[in-house]
Amino acid sequence: MSSFLSGLYNEARNAAGGMKDFATGIVSPTLRIGVTGLSRSGKTVFITSLVHALLHGGKLPLFTALTQGRINRVYLEPQPDDDVPRFAYEQHVEALTGDNRHWPESTNRLSQLRLTIEYEATGLVARNLQGSKLHVDIIDYPGEWLLDLPLMSQTYAEWSAATLKASEREPRKTLAKQWLAHLGTLDPAAPADEAQAQKAAKLFTDYLASCRADDVSLSTLPPGRFLMPGDLAGSPLLTFAPLALDPATKSADGSLHAMMERRYDAYVSRVVEPFFYNHFARLDRQIVLVDTLSALNAGAEAVKDLKTALTDVLGCFRQGANSWASAVFGRRADRILFAATKADLLHHSSHDKLEKVLGLIVEDARKRAEFAGARIDVAAVAAIRATREATVKQDGETLECIAGIPIKGEELAGETFNGTSEAAIFPGDLPDDPAAALDGSLEGELKFVRFRPPLVRHEGAASAVATFPHIRLDRALEFLIGDRLT
Amino acid sequence: MTDSPRKPKVFRLNPEQDEAKPASKPEPKPQAAKPSAKPKPSAKARKPRALPAPEIVYEEDQPEQPLVPAVARDHTLPKRFKWGAILVSAALGLVTMWAGLTATQLIEELFARNQVLGWIGTGLLGLILLAALAIIFREIAGLMRVRKLGTTQADAARAISADDARAADSTMNDLREIYSGRADMRWGMAQLRDHAKAIIDPADRIKLAERDLMVPLDEEANRIIARTARRVSVITAVAPAALDIALVGAQNLKMLRELATLYGGRPGTLGTLRLARMVAGHLAVTGGLAMSDSVISAVIGKGLIGRLSARFGEGAVNGILTARIGLAAMDLCRPLPFLTQTRPGLSDFMREVVRFGDGEAKEPDGQKTM
Repeated sequence: MSSFLSGLYNEARNAAGGMKDFATGIVSPTLRIGVTGLSRSGKTVFITSLVHALLHGGKLPLFTALTQGRINRVYLEPQPDDDVPRFAYEQHVEALTGDNRHWPESTNRLSQLRLTIEYEATGLVARNLQGSKLHVDIIDYPGEWLLDLPLMSQTYAEWSAATLKASEREPRKTLAKQWLAHLGTLDPAAPADEAQAQKAAKLFTDYLASCRADDVSLSTLPPGRFLMPGDLAGSPLLTFAPLALDPATKSADGSLHAMMERRYDAYVSRVVEPFFYNHFARLDRQIVLVDTLSALNAGAEAVKDLKTALTDVLGCFRQGANSWASAVFGRRADRILFAATKADLLHHSSHDKLEKVLGLIVEDARKRAEFAGARIDVAAVAAIRATREATVKQDGETLECIAGIPIKGEELAGETFNGTSEAAIFPGDLPDDPAAALDGSLEGELKFVRFRPPLVRHEGAASAVATFPHIRLDRALEFLIGDRLT
Repeated sequence: MTDSPRKPKVFRLNPEQDEAKPASKPEPKPQAAKPSAKPKPSAKARKPRALPAPEIVYEEDQPEQPLVPAVARDHTLPKRFKWGAILVSAALGLVTMWAGLTATQLIEELFARNQVLGWIGTGLLGLILLAALAIIFREIAGLMRVRKLGTTQADAARAISADDARAADSTMNDLREIYSGRADMRWGMAQLRDHAKAIIDPADRIKLAERDLMVPLDEEANRIIARTARRVSVITAVAPAALDIALVGAQNLKMLRELATLYGGRPGTLGTLRLARMVAGHLAVTGGLAMSDSVISAVIGKGLIGRLSARFGEGAVNGILTARIGLAAMDLCRPLPFLTQTRPGLSDFMREVVRFGDGEAKEPDGQKTM
């Protein structure tokens, strides 16, 4: 009953937000782009590159409005929500182009950006009624937090059972050993003990963190704030852990079980739900960034885990075609782009294979969105292209390579890179049949090395700002906002 | 899946390119490295390992479906010996022989009269033969160019529908061949070259090519069609009844030729005639469709002008049919199918046709956003 009530409450919350959007949308049309991606999938770089390309008129041949010369001006505006920090666009550009150029640090808090595009509308109605301004709202956030969204539909007992079940399989089993040993000593019915709870939470957090290491690279690791606490570090909201529960028993007052359950519920209602309903419930467009290559690096288990995580997370979003009523009752994301990021880490002749692997990973999420009537696209994208392409002839074989400066400390075939010299990398052949990525037959066959950001060169007039090279950013942009600029 | 998967490898590039020396900083250019910029594998490059033999999965033969032999049903008339063909070829042979004989006799007579006259005659005959040869070659080249437009269109359609990289490559090569020598296409070709450096999907490359190359040509084609349609309607209205069919036919052929030339076909006489045949075929296929909408309304609408003057009514109908022929020719000659641009319709030209006089034509707005 209470879940029904809270569902009703959430729907009402959505509808109220939708009304507000509708009212403001009449005066100034706004497009909310949900940049969705787990941690390290490249959200920050994508946003930075997208904003940079729009602000400085980058090379975007497939972005029609720009090539037709219909975009008059693009500028950053103060964002609409006063309680959210601004996306540190300038710092990120500085990091990418400065003397010691490097990829931006991982994001540890929520931030927002509003981009305003002034354009020449082509339609009669658009030209005369709506004005020719479009606000694009983008938020950036730690990808870990996204993992929390599935918790909204799970009770503490369900979550505990699911987490314990997952930890029984390799490679999680070895990593979870310490935490599981401590768990064995806990009795859910025993009186609540803060020290015990803290120890369990600490060990549980360590286990989650170890699952993220490069060689394992697992994704389904809720709750996300344990990995990236933001401003909640040390709060009781984060001091809980799964318990081995008997599904039949109810929590007794004052027991460890009751305390954990209360904290879990508080976590969901005070951390997860506000995060979702304030920022993700009413998206117009969604781009799902998936770091397919890192998962392939780590092997079939990581790919499977990524698939699970993405399916669970994307199941929380409102997607599908909009009708006249959704203008009032909260909009849905009607276009969803699944993007395999860091496509510059392999040769473009393999991009369609990469797209196939991504297609397999997001298969369920894609079907669901398509069924709801959303438009779908899958693309291999590199928001900032750090490599160039080359072919190497060796032993009569032609290897399609990529060349660039690998990040310091990256390793391949027994060589460690120093971060200053250039190398041509052949990362291995992607399989023709994407199912091979899930069945483990690729172990050790692929290795994608990360590269340093490209050295951006000034071209032409000295006053012109050099833009980042990219792969298919224009196609993504056209798909996401192109139709709103007509 | 017959190739064994290839292992990851690394090749160190020339150490002089180390970033420590800013003078020789490697510039990660946003473009595919050309084959000439091939990095050399250093001696350190890891030897390829012997890989386990690939597990060969034999593909099943086609599913056992009983093959039903297609019985070719012969609906044509029974084949008869072609006396007509023999008649025509024999007559042609005779005429050729007669022409040769006459020419030889003429030259011999000329030589008999005067040495100089003889040589002049020989020279003139040589010129005739040369010109005939040149015309034949030009016609053949024109025919092949017209055909090339068609194959390019087919390639482009395949590249679009299947996102086929090879089809897109051959389309781009064809386009380059067709347009590279033309001054009016220089800007579009430069744009295209610029895009060739970026990594773009095959279907998108075709769309870009359409936007860069076809848009100015489409505008010009619309102008040609509108002009001819208007002229045809005026000719029908004012020319004497006996002459107008010939004049209208000539105008139509001229339009076909102009359109084909515009899109890069440059057909000769035979090419134009072949194009006319293709247009007739195209109209026969799509004609029914067109009849259903605009032409009928045009024929009925003729009543209005027709009531004022029968000749003007006929002129309007002829003009509209000319526009229709022009549109069919545009479909056939355009090396890329209409993808991002809207295909101009008959109604775009309607206004032009019924507006007599007033020479300045406003070309119909045949563009849409991509």
